[in-house]
Amino acid sequence: MTTISPNLAEPPVPSWQRPFKKLLQPTILLAPAGLWLLLLLVFPTLLILELSLIPGARLGNPPGPYGLGNYIELFKPVYLQVIWRSLYFALGTTIVCLLLGFPVAYWIALKAPSRWRNLLLVGFILPLWTSSLLRAYAWITILRSSGLLNSMLGFFGLPGQDWLNRAPAVFIGMSYSYLPYMVLILYASLEKLDRRLLEAAADLGATPQQSFWRVTVPQTLPGIAAGGLLVLIATLGEFAVPELLGGASSMTVSRLIYNQFLGATRNWGLGSSISMILILGVSISIALLLKYGDRDAI
Amino acid sequence: MPPTPSRNSNLSSASRRRFLQAATAAATGVLLSNCARALLENASADKSGAAASATNANQTLRIYTWANYTDDQLLGRFKDKTGIQVIADTYDSNETMLAKMQAGGGKDYSIIYPSDYMVQQMVGLGLLAPLDPAKLTGIDQLMDRWQNPAYDKNNAHSIPAVWGTTGLVFNPEVIQTEIKGWDYIWDNQADLTRQITLINDVREVLGATLQYLGYSINSTDPAEIKQAYEKLLEIKPTVASFVTNGWEDQLAGGDLKMSMAYSQDAIALIAEKPELQYIVPETGSSLWTDTMVIPKTAPNSEAAYAWLNFMLEPENSARLVERLKISTPNAAAFDKLPPKLQQNEQLFPPKSVLANSEGIVPVKEEISNLYDQYWTRLTSS
Repeated sequence: MTTISPNLAEPPVPSWQRPFKKLLQPTILLAPAGLWLLLLLVFPTLLILELSLIPGARLGNPPGPYGLGNYIELFKPVYLQVIWRSLYFALGTTIVCLLLGFPVAYWIALKAPSRWRNLLLVGFILPLWTSSLLRAYAWITILRSSGLLNSMLGFFGLPGQDWLNRAPAVFIGMSYSYLPYMVLILYASLEKLDRRLLEAAADLGATPQQSFWRVTVPQTLPGIAAGGLLVLIATLGEFAVPELLGGASSMTVSRLIYNQFLGATRNWGLGSSISMILILGVSISIALLLKYGDRDAI
Repeated sequence: MPPTPSRNSNLSSASRRRFLQAATAAATGVLLSNCARALLENASADKSGAAASATNANQTLRIYTWANYTDDQLLGRFKDKTGIQVIADTYDSNETMLAKMQAGGGKDYSIIYPSDYMVQQMVGLGLLAPLDPAKLTGIDQLMDRWQNPAYDKNNAHSIPAVWGTTGLVFNPEVIQTEIKGWDYIWDNQADLTRQITLINDVREVLGATLQYLGYSINSTDPAEIKQAYEKLLEIKPTVASFVTNGWEDQLAGGDLKMSMAYSQDAIALIAEKPELQYIVPETGSSLWTDTMVIPKTAPNSEAAYAWLNFMLEPENSARLVERLKISTPNAAAFDKLPPKLQQNEQLFPPKSVLANSEGIVPVKEEISNLYDQYWTRLTSS
């Protein structure tokens, strides 16, 4: 507001027109995106919210009165178990991504020769150019009991692993999918690291290990928070990987929603209430991301 | 710096905020004024009275069908014969198709291919137009079983297009014993940990278990359904996953010992891997039919009848059998098949095998919910 140049000679406007004129520009500039958000985000979410408040809402049945029945239904152990499993997959994937991603980002940002950095980053992003579905299918080929992994383990005389259709396959597939995001965000955060502090720490007698834990990590905490939360948000609603790699006992929230909408029961009300819970969980994560995350890195 | 001109920003931002609040409130009010309710009500209303039938798009016919049920050659021949251009869209489950039709997204389609139980459900919902037998030629050539099917009396709303069974695929060299049906899985649970796949469909899987227990595939007795669920729970550790498609490579590669599959998927795989075998369990199987129907909202029912008559021609039915390795309910088409296909017992099982087989029919909503609750428990635990 304070930087507006007074040199722009504006014709005097009647006082009643001022608010409109002031509103005109933001309205024009924000209208396309605003309309987009309103039509494709706000409106569908409100629709889902209303559906979730009609117990047993089904296409083809006259709707009953409003109520909280769908939300009460969610407290059945079988649904709680599904919600818990989604959280478990998401948190586990986030931790795996962090553990794998931090050393990579650290090496690219601080150790690798600077002219290689962009190339290395591109190398890390390249897998994202293929369809995630295709990558999940690739993991089936690798992890199946006569697959690539077991052939290699067998070659080195190690016992074969039976990971496909179990939780390990889900963690492998999801971590693989989201690792590039984590690396990019951590890289952006590590690159800004003030190296003079590392030199100072070394001058004052800190071992490399000490300076890593007491200088590097605290400075990159916002980046770690941003990367972790972003992966958490994405994995909470993950559909394809658990569906393809997880096997018979891998029902997650998003698959449960799909089953409620397009499965045999077509219980849209229950599906909507599960969707609202998922939206709530993701919203909390986004709020945390905005508060604690490194916004420059995202 | 010269002083910035006073623009009374306090007032302006306050009024902007008020504007935004008002706009949001208005939008929310409009949106929440029973939009979802209207959606549900629209879908439940009986849509009587077909849409205006003769539109300017008289020379195109839109079909909503399963993947592969039509191909360019077939559509080309239909165009040569009738001059009607066909546009085919595909769906991958009956429920997806039903949801689209109920939500009003299927008004362009004049022909749909629902499965048997879905025909009954759609008739119940008033979505299908009754067929006029006078406009159809060749329904008398249908096999006896399809002259008066349980899902649609006298084919009043539907013409059976193709049929098949649900059974088990395996490699006899790997299994080493003769398999007659489902008891193999219960008898050999210990050796089968994550070695079998079951179809991702509640009625097929629970239905097969009901048949294994000696009940009807369409049981509506809660005690029987519960018993089937508990029986299935016993073999849950043997289930690698619930998939309708996607088991083929792993079965052929030996990573899976057995898969429950629809006959046409199994027969297509066996054509590539002759060492595999497909059986219809002796305790029975579901006998499914995919049909052709005309929805009430069909914009071009003349072209739809032309399509039905075209597909009833024995040559066209027979070509479908050869291309998709799927069974035909058309006796005249069966006669035109090469003997190799006619004698294929996987494609056309003998009557004794089909004796125990039943078609899946819809059940009341409470029972359907019960099935689904057990299914959610089974797949979520």
